[in-house]
Order: sequence, then structure tokens, then C-alpha cells
Amino acid sequence: MAIWKVSYVVKSSELPGGIINLDHTPEPGEILQIGDTHLEILEAFELIPARGDFHYIHATCKVIEQTE
Amino acid sequence: MDINQLLQSVELFDGLSGKDLDEVAAICKQRKYNAGEILAKEGEVGSELFVVSEGLVEVTVEEFTVPRVVVNLGAGQIVGEMSLVDRGPRSATVRAIHDTVVQVIQHDEFKDLCERNTGIGYLVMSNMAADLSFKLRHRNLSEE
Repeated sequence: MAIWKVSYVVKSSELPGGIINLDHTPEPGEILQIGDTHLEILEAFELIPARGDFHYIHATCKVIEQTE
Repeated sequence: MDINQLLQSVELFDGLSGKDLDEVAAICKQRKYNAGEILAKEGEVGSELFVVSEGLVEVTVEEFTVPRVVVNLGAGQIVGEMSLVDRGPRSATVRAIHDTVVQVIQHDEFKDLCERNTGIGYLVMSNMAADLSFKLRHRNLSEE
């Protein structure tokens, strides 16, 4: 069961970013829903080599919608 | 998702066999937090490790008495591991942003399991170091 552990940061925002698990490779243009916030991935790259079932990705995002 | 499926999705337990995961599952206790509730408070003595099953938590540190959110952690992430390693006070406050479900592992039970089954102990401690490293890389990138 492959898992993509994603470190994300949010450009031009006070949002702190975070770490989440995904079941697929995150791609630029993809929309992530983190809590009440929708983020668009601008860039994603492998942060460190995969180990076991885990892939390690860093993504830069921008806010496209925040409901709270 | 049952608890073994959840544990398989947590990096801390990567590489453990099904039997090993059963042993870990046996010391997990599920707890629910409503949005806004505090799981752990900076400066207090902590005796629990949390595995986020559902929901989202925010990790806040006090900087010159002003709280600053440093990271949000979603399902599959762990919090509370630093005080397990160094027995020091909590390094941050952890709060549920939304209704959140966690698996709680008591430090003493966890340490006892790692010492009884050194195969589990080696893998878990290695994975814990990798998780701390990933969090540090995240923090470095978020401060660029």
C-alpha cells in the first residue's frame, strides 16, 4: 500500500502549511482540501527518496477558497 | 478503517508485520476531540503519543508569549513523540482544528513493547527518527 507523505506550504498566506498523507502522487493543478481550506498545488517534488511503502513529497500551494 | 489499516498508513509503523501491528493495536486507545479541544499543552509533562486517525490538528509554539501555529497535521501523522524520546515537557500545544479522532499510546506501554520485542523497537525508533527529520525539513521549507 503506497502512501505519499506530503509536506505542503502555502504561498502568500498566513496559513502554516502542514503534513498529510495521500494515496496518490500529488500533481500541480490538483486541488487539496485541508480542513475548510481548498489549496491548489503549484509545484510538487520528491523531497527525499522513497522508503518502504512511503514516498516523501514537498508541495507548494496557493489558497483558492477558505470557508472559515 | 480498522485500527490495523490505520497503523499501516502511519510511517512510524512502516515495516512491521501483521503480528507486530496487532501488538501495537493492543496498546492503542481511541479518543475523540471536538474542534478546539487541546490534546497537549506546551510546557506540561506528557505521557502519551497521539496518532491522528481522522481530522486535523494544529501545532502551536509560544514565541515571546505570542502563540504561532507552526504546522497542521492530518490523518496518519503522529504528535507527542518528542516527550517520549527525551522525557522533557511538551514542546508545543496541539489543538484539534476539527472534530478529530486519535489513537493514544501511553509512553510506558510503548517503551515496554519496544523493549519486549526489539524488532518492533528498532523499526519504530528508526521510523520515529525519520518522522522527526521530515518534520524538520518541512519546517525549514516553510520558513524559506
